[in-house]
Amino acid sequence: METKLVTANLGVVNPESIDDYIARGGYRALEKVTGEMSSPQLIDMLKAAGLIGRGGAAFPTALKRELAVKAEVTQPWPAPANVPAPYRRSSAFVICNADESETGTFKDRLLMEGDPFRILEGMAITAFVTCATNGFIYLRGEYPLAYERLSRAIDAARQRGFLGERILRDDFDFDIEIRRGAGAYICGEETALFESIEGKRGEPRAKPPFPTDAGLFQRPTVINNVETFANIPFIALEGADAYRQYGTAKSPGTRVVCVSGQVRKPGAYEIAMGMPLRQVIDDLAGGLREGRALQAVLIGGAAGVFLRPDEIDVPLDFQSLSAIGATFGSGAIMVMDDTADLRGVLKRIARFFKDESCGKCFPCQLGTQRQYEIVTRTVGAFHETPLHELGATMRDASLCGLGQTASSAILSAIDKGLV
Amino acid sequence: MKKDVATGTASDALTPILARWSPVGRSGLLPALIEAQEAYGWLSEETLTRIANGLGVPLSEAFGVADFYAHLYTHPVGKKFVRVCDDVPCYLAGSEKICAAVEKHLRIRAGETTPDGAFTYEIVPCLGHCDHAPVVMVGSQVHENVTEDHVTDLVGK
Repeated sequence: METKLVTANLGVVNPESIDDYIARGGYRALEKVTGEMSSPQLIDMLKAAGLIGRGGAAFPTALKRELAVKAEVTQPWPAPANVPAPYRRSSAFVICNADESETGTFKDRLLMEGDPFRILEGMAITAFVTCATNGFIYLRGEYPLAYERLSRAIDAARQRGFLGERILRDDFDFDIEIRRGAGAYICGEETALFESIEGKRGEPRAKPPFPTDAGLFQRPTVINNVETFANIPFIALEGADAYRQYGTAKSPGTRVVCVSGQVRKPGAYEIAMGMPLRQVIDDLAGGLREGRALQAVLIGGAAGVFLRPDEIDVPLDFQSLSAIGATFGSGAIMVMDDTADLRGVLKRIARFFKDESCGKCFPCQLGTQRQYEIVTRTVGAFHETPLHELGATMRDASLCGLGQTASSAILSAIDKGLV
Repeated sequence: MKKDVATGTASDALTPILARWSPVGRSGLLPALIEAQEAYGWLSEETLTRIANGLGVPLSEAFGVADFYAHLYTHPVGKKFVRVCDDVPCYLAGSEKICAAVEKHLRIRAGETTPDGAFTYEIVPCLGHCDHAPVVMVGSQVHENVTEDHVTDLVGK
């Protein structure tokens, strides 16, 4: 069964009507936060709720805010001249990472198209906590409908005083700008995303400094995934205990998983954390087609890990997946039955990373290219190829997550005897 | 310096774009490039030069940015893009056949433009509609659950 917290409004609310959103309880969380809560109180509440970032890196959401608020105190205000004049009043930036490009992932698109105000509300609450006056949504260019819906939602929120100057009180100003991407998976990496907004090539920076210290325009920045922001209004309004009713002790709340591939009912399903993968495939996604047997599941996206059929009783939460060497990643679950050509799948994963490597650091630039060549030309056993050495080099020496995870799915398929 | 092929006198479309983005300087580079391409179809040297000058960015760096993004083009392209997803979920749903059908119908390969300039065809990574694979994007329109028969209608002229 689904547990609908962040997807509760999808297909129910009119995404182009702010009145509809308000009628369904929208903006009550922002009213509560601006009316009766302080920044430390809200950070403590998020901490108690145990919200973990839904983008893929699984970073504690409260900690990002805490670190950014600490860093802001040490920063000059207004900002120095490296920050464009219109953004200099903002002592921090709030960014929604909507560059959803991970293979097999479409939940953020559905959230933006179906309930855009919830994301704006989550961002506004975060801006209140961090005293940011400017925020950005970095949206992948291939999502024209989400762009349209979010643009209209921002206009409507401005008209009704939920964005712009003096939001619900005299000392709270916050506005959001949408920035579109132009076909670069790497721009979903947070520091590459900052470079892109700054008007540079979208190449990742070395970390540290981390975004909370020196993010966009070298200013303290809180950057979260779309789904993470969508969780915040519920927690702010209902409290940490209400949130912890869902999920497991260490992975509280829900997760929107994207089931695709060879199942009867592919789709995005919001589950309480800890639901076994088997249940997601068999019950929510309708199971495999008549007469077919499971061959493998790719979980987490192109940067994820293959699971064997005997591994799918794993509960879907951060800790259980990590315990079997897998990752929740972006929430993508790609199901392959016994008709799937896994070598063809691996070729596409290898091609993806070769094409999307930005070329800044050599382990990834050369490694993803070699990996593609080896995967494409190998007809015999993969374990006799140098893919493992190549993968270890990319994992250890690449600058960012793209190179570090470019070999994980392919190596897992080889190690588990799937190819 | 070459004139914009697709535009004639339409180069005035740049004036409002630059007015919109020059207050944020270089930070407006990517949006200005995207909007200019929406107006002209592609980014000529003349367009790039005006944007670079307007936002105070060296031309070489503006070109470097335009060159970085897969969906920005510094050479003429077709009026419409046919983007076929051939990533994992679409592959599992038979995207190879869709690619073959597009190639057969348009008589070009991925990365090429039809001689009449109507279509540019690309094979692209995940478009984020995996629950309705296979997926094809024609212009800004997404088509889900595409079949081979469907292709003729999608790229019909």
